[in-house]
Amino acid sequence: MFKRVLLANRGEIALRVQRTCREQGIETVAVYSEPDRNALHVRNAHAAVHIGPGPATESYLAIEKIIEAAKQTGAEAIHPGYGFLSENSDFATACEEAGIAFIGPSASAMQALGDKVSARRLMEAAGVPVVPGANDIDPEDLDAARAAAEQVDFPLLVKASAGGGGRGIRLVESIDDLEAAMRASGSEALASFGNATIFLERYVEPARHIEVQLIADAHGNVHTYGERECSVQRRHQKLLEEAPSVAVTPEIRQRLCDAAAAAARSASYQNAGTVEFLMDSSGDFYFLEMNARLQVEHPVTEFVYGVDLVLVQLRVAAGEALPPVDEVPQPRGWAIECRINGEDPYRNFMPSLGLVEHVQAPLGPGTRFDSMLFDGLDVPIFYDSLLGKLIVWAETRSDAIARMRRALSDLTVVGVQTNVPFHLELLDNPTFIAGEVYTSWLESNFTMPPAPEDDPRERDALVAAALAAELVKANGHAGPSTSTTAAGGGWQRAARASAVHLRARDGGLRGWHRGTGS
Amino acid sequence: MASRHRFLIDGTEHSVTVEESDGLFSVAVDDDDPQQVDLTNSGLPGLFSLLVNGDPSQAFVSRRGAGFEVTTGGRRFKVEAATAGRGRRGPVGSLEDPIGKVTAPLGGVVFEVHVKVGDTIATGDPLMVIEAMKMQNEVQAPHPGTVTTLHVNVGDRVDSKGDLLLEYDADEPDVGDD
Repeated sequence: MFKRVLLANRGEIALRVQRTCREQGIETVAVYSEPDRNALHVRNAHAAVHIGPGPATESYLAIEKIIEAAKQTGAEAIHPGYGFLSENSDFATACEEAGIAFIGPSASAMQALGDKVSARRLMEAAGVPVVPGANDIDPEDLDAARAAAEQVDFPLLVKASAGGGGRGIRLVESIDDLEAAMRASGSEALASFGNATIFLERYVEPARHIEVQLIADAHGNVHTYGERECSVQRRHQKLLEEAPSVAVTPEIRQRLCDAAAAAARSASYQNAGTVEFLMDSSGDFYFLEMNARLQVEHPVTEFVYGVDLVLVQLRVAAGEALPPVDEVPQPRGWAIECRINGEDPYRNFMPSLGLVEHVQAPLGPGTRFDSMLFDGLDVPIFYDSLLGKLIVWAETRSDAIARMRRALSDLTVVGVQTNVPFHLELLDNPTFIAGEVYTSWLESNFTMPPAPEDDPRERDALVAAALAAELVKANGHAGPSTSTTAAGGGWQRAARASAVHLRARDGGLRGWHRGTGS
Repeated sequence: MASRHRFLIDGTEHSVTVEESDGLFSVAVDDDDPQQVDLTNSGLPGLFSLLVNGDPSQAFVSRRGAGFEVTTGGRRFKVEAATAGRGRRGPVGSLEDPIGKVTAPLGGVVFEVHVKVGDTIATGDPLMVIEAMKMQNEVQAPHPGTVTTLHVNVGDRVDSKGDLLLEYDADEPDVGDD
């Protein structure tokens, strides 16, 4: 096993990977950008290397700086987390050339799967069902494209082979719109990815987003860990995931897992990966893409299978063989994850940033909170809005929903608005409760209700504000109260600590925090 | 000795009367009957535990200028001080900026600037785009006028909400009653 692993990431996933390393006695090396100087994964590391300013292109995406940090600190392996360089084949190659183990698939497997047309071809050859479509589209040969489109049938999607994050995708309802969609998709793909290759795919709707977790070792063994249901999405971003899926029977699960394993084998895949499928209402499913990394939502699988996926990743990357397939645990119970984002659901999900003054994390049975939050964190503007992930497990789905409601109401984040009110509304939605959710459902059918009027919490807020105002007045300043001239015991009790905070907010704390961050 | 506080939440004015005796507070919100409030502090600055007529809740209070931000039961309330002249909104009512100034609705990086000095702007015109957390947020003109100063350029970092972005000469409001 490795003695020292570099974490080429930040935020909750750096902490997540670091926890397993620490449990295994593996030393960790943190790399950090300037605004992340105060981050928890830096404090918990055995070594920490500053790799540049806030923008990711100058820090977490700077391959040479990260390789250099690994060499300098003697790290034998690099865990890329998700996002950033996790699916960058140049990075995997750079690790290999530097003699550092990359905890993930090979560069060649990444390339084969990263290109959507080449991935479709691989899957077709391996007998994995793909969405009916046409791979060989020449944008100049319109007649051939029209014929191919008629074969695929409408509505269909024009997609960019190098696409990602929803870019380069056009929905085409009829043949009249085909040419314009092909042009738009091709030019967007060229601008975004430097590759104008496009293909056609039937529009499967309504469809669920179902994905299978797997891990493959260097000895030809592939383990699958069942499915995750990730159909609750807004703008192609997953917001809530669960395992298992209400729509997957044991028979479908077996077929999904077999298809995922075949997909992994077809690309000589190693380490953790996720095969994404679209599943229609009849239970037929189609390969969508393979994500060559640990996913954000991996904890729901960990709960249901009782497995530490990061630990398996580390073992496989160190060359160990997976245990025999019959030792893979059977799924038990139900897990749900809510992504806690810094955004305001009452203001059209506008990002909310700033100083996190106070955090209370939910605790209790079957409750897990993977988060970068701490009291005093100044959420940087450069990265995505994921502050943490709240994950619960219970015996049944309805108990898991109930537990998630409780856990969400136990989560307090002061200073930054989170999407907790959205999740609470979602968990009360009858369609969600029934499990009748498709990828387009949230955007087409769910409206965030406005903040309630005549909210009893408003009274509490006014009471608290009035008493805080009295405190400031009674002390004459907002510093700690040593005075006995204020009205009496109640004031003193209240004044003791609140005053310290009130003063800090006036500027001192923020300035201090910023000052030490560089 | 009672004292009276006037606050604004979402533009609605509230009055809160506080009276203290024997370490307990009697607090009346608006026209409601006074409630007995036991307020204590668990040792963390700003975090209050409240018992309002025996009903427990917790609130975290931060000072924001002359007012407060209160987080309670998972909801954040901006509790502004309703002193004379404060809390008045511009003619659009949607933005808090004084007339003639546009400040950042959030911290981020200036992604695009759509206007230059001398441009005439109408209410709702896109002025610039601020990118934060990979999301682009359009800043719109709150009032018609003419741009006089641009305080940011593309690529500039806007540290926090409220930073001055742009100044303009506001057109006189149309006072006709046709």
